[in-house]
Amino acid sequence: MAAPIIPESGSIKKAVLLINMIDTGKFPRLLSRILQKLHLKAESSFSEEEEEKLQAAFSVEKQDLHLVLETISFILEQAVYHNLKPAILQQQLESIHLDQDKAEAFVSAWTAAGQDTIEKFRQRILAPQKLETIGWQLNLQMAQSTQAKLKSPQVVLELGVSNEDSKKLEKVFVEFSHQELFEFYNKLETIQAQLDSLT
Amino acid sequence: MCIWTNNIVKVLGSPLAFGARIASLVTVQTAPEMYLDIDPEGSAQKSESLGLLPFVVSALEGKDCKEPMRAIAESSDLSEEQLTSLISGMYTLLREALRLPISTFKQEVSTRKEFIMDFASVVFGNRRPVVEATTLKQGNRLPSVNDIKWRVDVAISTSSLARALQPSILMLLKLSDGTAHRFEVPVAKFQELRYNVALILKEMNDLEKRSILKIQD
Repeated sequence: MAAPIIPESGSIKKAVLLINMIDTGKFPRLLSRILQKLHLKAESSFSEEEEEKLQAAFSVEKQDLHLVLETISFILEQAVYHNLKPAILQQQLESIHLDQDKAEAFVSAWTAAGQDTIEKFRQRILAPQKLETIGWQLNLQMAQSTQAKLKSPQVVLELGVSNEDSKKLEKVFVEFSHQELFEFYNKLETIQAQLDSLT
Repeated sequence: MCIWTNNIVKVLGSPLAFGARIASLVTVQTAPEMYLDIDPEGSAQKSESLGLLPFVVSALEGKDCKEPMRAIAESSDLSEEQLTSLISGMYTLLREALRLPISTFKQEVSTRKEFIMDFASVVFGNRRPVVEATTLKQGNRLPSVNDIKWRVDVAISTSSLARALQPSILMLLKLSDGTAHRFEVPVAKFQELRYNVALILKEMNDLEKRSILKIQD
């Protein structure tokens, strides 16, 4: 068997007991919801209000509910980190004494959405500045103060760059003539060739 | 009088650049006459024009001409006042002439006196595209790209993935206004950027083929 990736600590043991008591009918929905939101680092899976409803539905204390939710997230994060195969996940869950029906719920949720979740994590780039939006406008310049008549196509490219610190989208405006845009495109093609050579 | 003077009057309201900054209404309006008056003999007049004109054209092309202008001022027997009037007059004339499309006044100029041929050679000659390219660049516009540096990274592992193997691009855009922007471009976003740039190029090509651009001025 593969090395255990979920330590059998005190809190995990307690969480396993609590999870085993959860209604098997409700458990898969809980799992898929957590899996859906796993990659959103800033957001918790449930709102305050939703947590209150869950407390009532599973008849557990607030503290215990948090333990359950955090443990489920942890197990799924470990599955993501190690890119676990469903069968290995099942072994891991059985080794921490999770009931068969709960383990199976984990495996089926993981089989259904695991790869998508991993892909979402893969797309999560750590960078202070990141390109988020692209907009453009094509203009035909007809005149200017030093030229009475012109017919010069100009394009304005608007690049929305997100900033990790301010969370604000900074707009970078760049203007290109036809020739300048062509040169820019050739640079992008070079980058594309590099990307292609990676695969 | 001639088309030159008419155009000079038109331009007086606009801010004047470089040597023309010192041009007053009087100096600009009298410049053509002064130009004629400097030396009544045609040959000297011509050589004087040959000395100044290249630098005035250089100034129009956006080059710094302080040094050659100073040299001319020192070697010339003209007074500083005459010289400034002359230079700013020439500058304003040329700028105004270059503002208009060639076809607008081709016929009129061909009938002017000989000294105008020097100007005409600038306005109609092979320097014109260079001057036009400069004015287009110097005109009122958003910053353009001066330099692009890029890097392709492959993330091997991250805090959430033991094996990520995810490529991304780090791009540095240096713009003509002196600012630099460094940002990460995820591969999917890069494809979007490349697609959009290709699309704009196509749109530009289509636009240039359309009849609106083929109509003669």
